[in-house]
Amino acid sequence: MHERLSFHIKRDSVLHRLNPLTKLVLTLALIFLAFTFPWYWMPHLLILIAVIPLSLLGKVFREFWLTALKLILPAAGFLFLMQAFFQPIGTDVIFKFYFLDITSESLMFAFKNAMRVFVMVSAFTLFLLTTHPSELMSDLTRRGLPGQFAYVIISTLQIIPQMQAKAQTIISAQRSRGLDTESTFFKRAGSVLPLVGPLVFGSLVEVEERAIAIEARGFTSKHAKTSLHEIPDSDFDKILRWILFALIVFSIGLNLWLS
Amino acid sequence: MLHVSLFKRNIMNINIKDLRFAYPTGLEALKGINLAIDSGEQVAIVGQNGAGKTTLVRHFNGLLKPASGSVSIGDWDTTKYSVAKLASRVGYVFQNPDEQLFSRDVLTEVSFGPRNLGYEKTKVDELVKRALALTELSEKTGTNPYDLSPTWRKMVALASIIAMDTPIVIFDEPTTGQDAMNVARIANVIAVLKREGKTVITITHDIDFCAENFERVIALADGRVLLDGPAREVLGEEETLAQTYVEPPQLTRLGKKLGLKEIVTTQEEFIKAVVQD
Amino acid sequence: MAFVNLQNLAYKYPLTKTNALENINLQVREGEFVAVIGPNGAGKSTLCYALAGFVPHFFKGEISGEIEVDGRKSGESTLDEWVLNVGLAFQNPFNQISGAKYTVFEEIAFGLENIGVPRDEMKTRVEEAMSLTGISDLADRSPYSLSGGQQQRVALTSILVMRPRLLVLDEPTSQMDPIGTREVFGVVRRMAEEGMTVVMVEHKMEWIAHFADRVIALKEGQIFLEGTPGDVLTSDVLIENGFGISRYTSVAREAKKQGLWKKEKLPVTLDEAVEGFK
Repeated sequence: MHERLSFHIKRDSVLHRLNPLTKLVLTLALIFLAFTFPWYWMPHLLILIAVIPLSLLGKVFREFWLTALKLILPAAGFLFLMQAFFQPIGTDVIFKFYFLDITSESLMFAFKNAMRVFVMVSAFTLFLLTTHPSELMSDLTRRGLPGQFAYVIISTLQIIPQMQAKAQTIISAQRSRGLDTESTFFKRAGSVLPLVGPLVFGSLVEVEERAIAIEARGFTSKHAKTSLHEIPDSDFDKILRWILFALIVFSIGLNLWLS
Repeated sequence: MLHVSLFKRNIMNINIKDLRFAYPTGLEALKGINLAIDSGEQVAIVGQNGAGKTTLVRHFNGLLKPASGSVSIGDWDTTKYSVAKLASRVGYVFQNPDEQLFSRDVLTEVSFGPRNLGYEKTKVDELVKRALALTELSEKTGTNPYDLSPTWRKMVALASIIAMDTPIVIFDEPTTGQDAMNVARIANVIAVLKREGKTVITITHDIDFCAENFERVIALADGRVLLDGPAREVLGEEETLAQTYVEPPQLTRLGKKLGLKEIVTTQEEFIKAVVQD
Repeated sequence: MAFVNLQNLAYKYPLTKTNALENINLQVREGEFVAVIGPNGAGKSTLCYALAGFVPHFFKGEISGEIEVDGRKSGESTLDEWVLNVGLAFQNPFNQISGAKYTVFEEIAFGLENIGVPRDEMKTRVEEAMSLTGISDLADRSPYSLSGGQQQRVALTSILVMRPRLLVLDEPTSQMDPIGTREVFGVVRRMAEEGMTVVMVEHKMEWIAHFADRVIALKEGQIFLEGTPGDVLTSDVLIENGFGISRYTSVAREAKKQGLWKKEKLPVTLDEAVEGFK
C-alpha cells in the first residue's frame, strides 16, 4: 500500500491553469534572477514579491510552507551556518567560536546564499505542487521532446517510491528470517547483501517486463500521440513566457556586463 | 514425550485480541480481529483481494504492530519483541521468492535463517539438510537460486524458512503461479510440518487446495473475520463466502447440487457420501 | 484460412542450449477461445511472446517457421505495428504498470494516447473497458496502491481497451480471488463471442473447462495434446504426465474405479459431474 511520489495537489487556481511550460520557465526565471542578478537584496525581494504571492495565487500556501519548514528551511539554515563559519572573507569579526571567526561580511554572504537556495527550492516546490507531471511531459512531448525521454523522466519519479516500497518488503522478508537490522553497525554492514541482492535482481526482471508491457501498449507506435488531458496554452501563457525569458536574458546580461 | 508436546502446545498459541490496524495512507485494513490459534493447528486464511489477509499475518511475526488491541505468540506480546527475535517462533514465507533470495548457492541461502537464530553449527547443518530433503532440493544445493526456474526458487524460499524450525510457519499464497506437480510438493511440505506438530497458517485463493490441506478456515472480509471454523463448516457457507468473493471448493458445490446430506470438501468425503446415499 | 497460423515454429532464446519451442503447428479461428496449459517451463510464456511479436522482435534468438496472424507474417512486420493487432497481458501485474501515470483511468488511457486515439473517443473507450472488467470504482486510485488482484484487472483492462484482434493472456488471474477469477474468465469469453480471438495460459482447470473452446497442452516446448476441454482434460496420458485436472475429473476417475461413475466419458465441468453422478 504505497502511494505515488508526487507533490502535485489537484486544485483550481490561476497557477494550476497556466501551461506547464510557462510554469517551468517561471521557475527557471526565479532561479536565474536569484543567482545572477547583481544586487544584494534580489533573492530576499523575490521571496517577498514572487514566492509568497505565488503560493497564495496557487492556493497551496499551507502545503508550501509545510514543505518549506520541513525541507527547505533546514537545508538553507545548514548552508547559512556552514558559510558563515567557513567563508574566509572580511575582517570585521563580530563573533568568535573557538578557532572560528564570524565576520559581518561572511554573515552577509551566507545570508544571501541561503536565500538564493531558498528561492531555488521554493520555486521548484511551487512548480511541483501546481503541475501534474504527466501534463508537463505530454506538453513537452507535443513540443518535440522525444517520447522515450519524457517517459524516462516521469517513470523515474514514480519508480523511486516503488523501489523504496520494494526495499521495504525485502527488509521485511529478511527480518522475518532473523536478520537483525535493528542492532549494531557491524551487524548492519553484514546485512547489506541480503537486502541489495534481491533489489538488483528484481530490478533487472522488472525493467525487461515493463519494457514489454509498454511496448504492448503501442509505446513506440509511429502514430502521432494524443493526450487524455487537455493542456491549456493561452496567449497570456505565450506572452508571459517571453517576458520571463527576457528577464532571464537581462539578468544574465547585466551580470556579465558588470563583472 | 507427550508431556513435552502438551507443554509446547500451551506456550505457542497465537492470541489476537481486538486487533485494529490502519496504513499511513489512512486505509483501515483491520477493524477489530479476535482470534485464537492453538499450537499444531493447520489454518487457511481466505478472502477477497484487499480483505486484510496479508496485513493480518504480518502481525504474527511483528512486521506490523497493532494500532490497538494485542497480538501474542505464546507468552510474547509482539510489541515487546523485535522481528528478528520473533523469527525464532514464527517463520514467514513471502509470496514472491525474488524478494528474499540473495545467496550464491542454495545451501548458503537455506542456512541463512537458522544461522541468524544462533543455532550451533551441527544443528544448522541438520536442519538445513532436512529442509532441503523435504523440498526436494537436495540435488541442487550448489546451484545459484537465480539459475533455478521460478518454481524451484519458490521451493528454495520454502526451505529457507522451514530450516529455521519455528513452531509456527506462515505461507503467503504458496501455490500462486505453481503447476500441479509443485502444488503437490507444497501440500506434502505442509503435511510433514503438521506431523511434526507445527502450526501452519496459509493465505490462499486456491480453495480446493485449502479444502484438501487445512482443518480450519478463516474467511476475512473488509478487515473483519467473516467466518471461522472447521474447514467443512466454513467452506459450505456458499452465500456468506460470496460476500468476500470466495466460492466453496469444486466438490462441495458438486455435493450440494447432488443434494448430498453432508457437506463434503475432499475426494474421500465425497466418495463416502455418494456410497452412503 | 485460420486467423492465427503457426507453422513448424521453433525458437531458441539467446545464450541457451535447448529450444524453448519446437515444432509448433497451431491454427486458431477468429473468435475462438483457446486455453494453453502445461507445467512450469513447458514454453507457455514463450508461446505467448511469439504470438504477441516479442519473440523474436524483442528477445532476438533463433527462430524458424512461420507466425501468421490475420494473414500477416510476424517476420515481415515490425513490433510497433504488430501490437496494434495483438494484445498481451502477463502474470506479474506490478511490472505492467506503465509508471508514467498517476491514476488507474490515466493508466488505461496510456495505450490509446500512444496510438493517437482522439480525446473524446479515448474517454468513452476507457470508461467502457473499466465497466466491462468491473473496476470503474478504482478510476481515481493510484495503480500502485492496489492489491495484486486489482492490478491484474487493470493490466487486463489496459490491453482490452486497445481492442486487439488477438488477445494473448499469460496467467492473468494468478493473484485474483476465486469469484474475481471466474468473472475475468467470463469477460474473456464475452470478448471471444464478440469476435476477439483469445489465447490464454492458465492453471485453473475448472474455468478452462467451462469457458474455453479448445485446450492446448504444452510439454517441453511442444504441443503434447490438443482438442476440446472435454477430451484433453480427461485424458489419461495428461494425468500421467503431471498436468493438473479439475476435481470433477479426478473424483469421477476414482468413482469409476469403484463403479460409482457409470458414464464412459469423465466430466470436466460442474454440470457434467452433476449429470453423471445423479
